[in-house]
Amino acid sequence: MTLLVADLRAFVAAVRKELRQVRRYPTLLLSILFWPVLLPTAWVLMGRAYSGNDPQALEAFAQRAGSPQVAGFVFVGYAMYMWLSTLLWGPGTALRTEQVRGSLEAVFLTPASRLVPLFGPGAANILPASLNFVVMGVALWLLFGFVPTFQATLWTLVIIVLGVPAMYAIGALFAASVLRFGEVGPVVQLVRGIFVLACGITFPVAMLPGWAQVSAWLLPPTYIVEDIRRVLLQGAGPADVTEHVILVLAMAVITAAAAAMVFRALETSARRTGMLSRF
Amino acid sequence: MTAPAVETKDLVKVFERGRRTIWQRLRREPDRRERFSAVDGIDLRVETGEIFGLLGPNGAGKTTTMKMLATLLIPTSGSIRVLGIDPLERPRDVRARLGAMLSGERSLYWKLTARENLEYFAALYHVSPNQTRARIERALAAVNLSDRADDYVERYSTGMRQRLALARALLPDPPLVILDEPTVGLDPQASRDLRDRVRELRAQGRTVLLTTHYMEEADQLCDRVAIIDHGRIVALDTPAALKRTIRAEEVVHLELGIDGDDRTVLEHLGRMATVARSERTNGTLAVTAHCASARDFVPAAFDAARSAGATIRHVEVVPVTLEDVFLSLTGRALRE
Repeated sequence: MTLLVADLRAFVAAVRKELRQVRRYPTLLLSILFWPVLLPTAWVLMGRAYSGNDPQALEAFAQRAGSPQVAGFVFVGYAMYMWLSTLLWGPGTALRTEQVRGSLEAVFLTPASRLVPLFGPGAANILPASLNFVVMGVALWLLFGFVPTFQATLWTLVIIVLGVPAMYAIGALFAASVLRFGEVGPVVQLVRGIFVLACGITFPVAMLPGWAQVSAWLLPPTYIVEDIRRVLLQGAGPADVTEHVILVLAMAVITAAAAAMVFRALETSARRTGMLSRF
Repeated sequence: MTAPAVETKDLVKVFERGRRTIWQRLRREPDRRERFSAVDGIDLRVETGEIFGLLGPNGAGKTTTMKMLATLLIPTSGSIRVLGIDPLERPRDVRARLGAMLSGERSLYWKLTARENLEYFAALYHVSPNQTRARIERALAAVNLSDRADDYVERYSTGMRQRLALARALLPDPPLVILDEPTVGLDPQASRDLRDRVRELRAQGRTVLLTTHYMEEADQLCDRVAIIDHGRIVALDTPAALKRTIRAEEVVHLELGIDGDDRTVLEHLGRMATVARSERTNGTLAVTAHCASARDFVPAAFDAARSAGATIRHVEVVPVTLEDVFLSLTGRALRE
């Protein structure tokens, strides 16, 4: 068994371990049904209340958002918010949970790659997070009568999958800081808020001031959210989003290289200071 | 001569106490954090196949030493070789050959069964798929948990969780097992049980390096013991040889009731035995004396007390233990 195969087995074991634990708290699954429907629906209704379904207001929205589909726009934004949250904070949350529980040292005592505890438990969350998409799709259809085409849905999935490395790379940067600083929750909340504001989650990027728009287009989630909306709501095809997808992959490579260096440096620092066992 | 299982030379680990804020760093203020040596120049040589104990009070540097051997901490200076490998250069190779039980029951997943815990760690230890099941069964049998393997760990007693942590350490079939305070928090029966498991490890040809602050544990279990205090090894030998160093056959604990000055009575007692420790609390003087024969010393102690106007309230004669060795070397009890 080569080292790579052994680490892949360890990765699968980490995913299985996490899913087993989640399965033992079945009420957690209720949140998959509840939040993905309740919150975006509230936002859509709020938007309708503010606009009073005025055609002029809807026209202004369509100009800025590139589509008159308010419900579709909000649901896509919120779906991506939940997805990005899972991917971005998954690795850090996984390490922090192990650290607080007291099992991080036991895991670090094994010869498995550090990528296993970093990404394995987070990867386990991809399954319930994917269910969010299904629930939201059904809600969008039943409540607002919006049904995307099969091809648009397929390309959306491709964009989502190709965006995973970039999201995980950013997540790894935060996870590394857990090793050195322990609790990074407040910083994560701050960055999460910035992403919500900057990446077009609940309103079009065009609403931001010029300088903020420039900053927004430096962040991979902005491209992912934008491309999914273009494919789902505006009927764009693969050729229309290829450039963005390549850009996001390039950002993933750069961020992953940075994350690997930062992780290595902070792990060494944690081994010098004894932070692995402190929290 | 075979290579030692563990060898350290002049091992030092310095930690910093206190904080240095980001503001202080940005302003490039001098670093005023206090530095202290948790491990201060330890030379160790653990031979293959022995049970070697690091005995010392809490905060003596035992766990820090173990963590450096297990690659969890980077030493400030000095060298380490674990099974002939430098853990700084090849940490993954060391981890693959080392069974470690450092943080006990907290390091397990309580919402999983014992078997599920071991399945996960077997994969992390890179145990091949066709060996995994047999390894898990063997590890569970080694710690007497086969019949409870499919219970959630949250339903286990502390002793069972400690044994499961030991089973996990055995998964890579390691030639070297390191155990940090393996019996801490266990009741006497569970402690005895775990010690039996440790002896079996030696019988299987494995080397065991353990830390403890229980002198009986070190005495009963270890082939050799290093007594560690303030990050330094103050004595290293077999338990029997260590006990011989205090040159006494018996230890007498006296409790005297005394109102005035205690110097006279201590002087009298000191002529007949070595007064290893004396502690005055209000009207009570507690004395630990090392003597050649309690039969001769105790009556003389009564005479000495009487002549000094004191009364003896309690006498206890015990054999020499490693606690007495520690006391004679450091002037403090292990519990202090």
